[in-house]
Amino acid sequence: MQNNHHSGHPNSAMNMREKEKYIENFNFPFCEESSKYQKLAKIGQGTFGEVFKARDISNPKKFVAMKKVLMDNEKEGFPITALREIRILQLLKHDNVVNLIEICRTKASAANRYRSTFYLVFDFCEHDLAGLLSNVNVKFSLGEIKKVLQQLLNGLYYIHYNKILHRDMKAANVLITKNGVLKLADFGLARAFSNNKNGMPNRFTNRVVTLWYRPPELLLGERNYGPPVDLWGAGCIMAEMWTRSPIMQGNSEQQQLTLISQLCGSINPQSWPGVENLELYKKMELPQEQKRKVKERLKPYLKDPYAIDLLDKLLVLDPSKRADADTALNHDFFWTDPMPCELGKMLANHTQSMFELLAPARRATQINRHHSMSRPTTSAVQDSGYQDRVF
Amino acid sequence: MPGWYFDKKELRNTPSAAAGLDYKTEMRYRKEGARFIIDTGMKMDLGYNTTATGVVYFHRFYMFHSFQQFPRYVTACCCLFLAGKVEETPKKCKDIIKIARNLLTDQKFVTFGADPKEEVMTLERILLQTIKFDLQVEHPYQFLLKYAKCLKGDKTKLQKMVQMAWTFVNDSLCTTLCLQWEPEIIAVALMYLAGKLSKFEVMDWVGRASKHLRWWDMFVEDITMDLLEDICHQVLDLYSQPAPKSPSDSPPPSATKPHSPPIQSTSRQSNGSEKIAHISPESLPPPLNTRIPPPSEVPQFPYQTFTHAPPPLTSYAPVSFAAPPVNTPPPMAGPPPPVAPPHLAGPPPNVYPPYVGHPPPFTPVVPPPTGPPPYFSNGMPPPTPGHRQYYPPP
Repeated sequence: MQNNHHSGHPNSAMNMREKEKYIENFNFPFCEESSKYQKLAKIGQGTFGEVFKARDISNPKKFVAMKKVLMDNEKEGFPITALREIRILQLLKHDNVVNLIEICRTKASAANRYRSTFYLVFDFCEHDLAGLLSNVNVKFSLGEIKKVLQQLLNGLYYIHYNKILHRDMKAANVLITKNGVLKLADFGLARAFSNNKNGMPNRFTNRVVTLWYRPPELLLGERNYGPPVDLWGAGCIMAEMWTRSPIMQGNSEQQQLTLISQLCGSINPQSWPGVENLELYKKMELPQEQKRKVKERLKPYLKDPYAIDLLDKLLVLDPSKRADADTALNHDFFWTDPMPCELGKMLANHTQSMFELLAPARRATQINRHHSMSRPTTSAVQDSGYQDRVF
Repeated sequence: MPGWYFDKKELRNTPSAAAGLDYKTEMRYRKEGARFIIDTGMKMDLGYNTTATGVVYFHRFYMFHSFQQFPRYVTACCCLFLAGKVEETPKKCKDIIKIARNLLTDQKFVTFGADPKEEVMTLERILLQTIKFDLQVEHPYQFLLKYAKCLKGDKTKLQKMVQMAWTFVNDSLCTTLCLQWEPEIIAVALMYLAGKLSKFEVMDWVGRASKHLRWWDMFVEDITMDLLEDICHQVLDLYSQPAPKSPSDSPPPSATKPHSPPIQSTSRQSNGSEKIAHISPESLPPPLNTRIPPPSEVPQFPYQTFTHAPPPLTSYAPVSFAAPPVNTPPPMAGPPPPVAPPHLAGPPPNVYPPYVGHPPPFTPVVPPPTGPPPYFSNGMPPPTPGHRQYYPPP
């Protein structure tokens, strides 16, 4: 099959042109061509490329999300960030984690200088949580909110159990299918971690997590962090289920720390033993004499006392005292009436895909500031009863 | 969709074979490519995990493309380059090429063309597609350490056995074993081999149950002695291959040294009935990677490090990787004591006699399988519903 260019001499390697031809003709058995999918609309911008909604041509009822791997300006070949995301997604198979179906390629040809473009292909999810929350017509009952949060924490429990940190928790990265199944998405910043009990602290980058969802330890320069960074984000998202917009919208790291202090109380060695050792502890301005007001300020929104108590355990300054996913899942909030209930029925009232990217003005500032998203130009498409509003 | 394991017939029916390359030469090319990846990795202080991952990519690549069309050293560089990124120990492409330039003869480096970096970059896309983006590869090392922790007996002897098994695992990379058997099985087989050669008989182990005839029954089911023997022989055969005669076609000088004459006793019958115990220990040449470095420049690379001093099985020293890979590598022991690797002198001369004529009292329950083995379902059952553990808790 693939040896049609072989010249017969055992040591005659191909020259560049022969190689190009070889690539064009070789039918890679494990990497299908992206033309098996028909692109429908641009639905987002991931950490390393655009995301499209597409239809499986051989199975027209099957929709997928295709995330393009940006390879321009890559001096070191296939980006390590994309390799990381692929590897992590291949490991994580869980109902509450977005499912990577396959990796596709465009056919190499003279037109693309024999360089394929690669796409990560995912099961399509109709909504993201940020989009749902920005729509005033979408109303969650307490049981439905519990279902959302339970699935979110289940996903986090699973990834942490598998020694993966998400590192970009935010409502826009929480997808929800039309049947109400929640999926953690965008593992573009995720990485593996190990419990460093051998005495060697981790030296991870602290330039992760969208500012509004970034935990205080990262803002103070911690590099030896772990799962609690994702639980802080989970706490922010939890509150957002009721407030409908992110609860701490700082526009600088300093301001974010101030907002956190105003909500969660002053950051100091009394509230958080050891914080004085963090790199930026002395460099940042940390308002003192601030009382913790999590319960007080969010009670008007959350109302449910169990909800407030759980939130209070998630938005804890000291990461070592912050609830982990398992503890949170065992909280009475999830085990008292109204019990978590399916979302499918409520979502059935909404036949329009809701993505943050597609939401009108609400999150424009956030989008522009934090992920430099560009407005897509694709026109609206109609399929499967879901209209993708695009602007 | 086929997996990554092939039977012996498939291994003889590769694209290279189809294009007219004889089996022996292909095996030599594979060995040289693997050796080159190991040497380059060692020079760059890459860990054994990264190196082994690169070698596995290399072997898989040539199940779909021929050596005639893709020169082995370019592919080897590309595999190491990709493995570096995957295992979170990235190295710059140009630095890998620089090392390759030093290790290879001019004649061999010619295959890198006018723009070596471009050559490797172009190949990376082909490599990724060929290996199906199956980036995560497990190696026998971790299983070797895991199993060793369960074995009871004389600590010194156990240590010696683990050390020897580790060396065999290193050398197994030069064979196509990683295309035939799961890393768990290779680990068991090579520990079995090392146990025989180092006279370490496992009498008891942690977690022993009455149904366990052998310690490995605890970890993998239905391993037959024939299978173990076959795996061991594939590694031992490496040591019986004479150095290539034609200098122009020889592997890089650093990778080879003249080997002892072939061991006659390894001319085994195809039915696999010959037992390892029949090999005379005196005729066992040193494993491939036994270049003796002067004590002053004992390489930091775990391959060599471990050859000298395997990690203590009870307490582990810190890992020295800048960024830990997803699979936390088994931590290595600190700087090795400047002693010569024990296997240099070969196993103690009296290793064999006790075994000769005493084949293990073990009757295979099932005939050795020919296809991919049924020992592991690739998706292991999750410990709790919905949760699948990929990394055993440390």
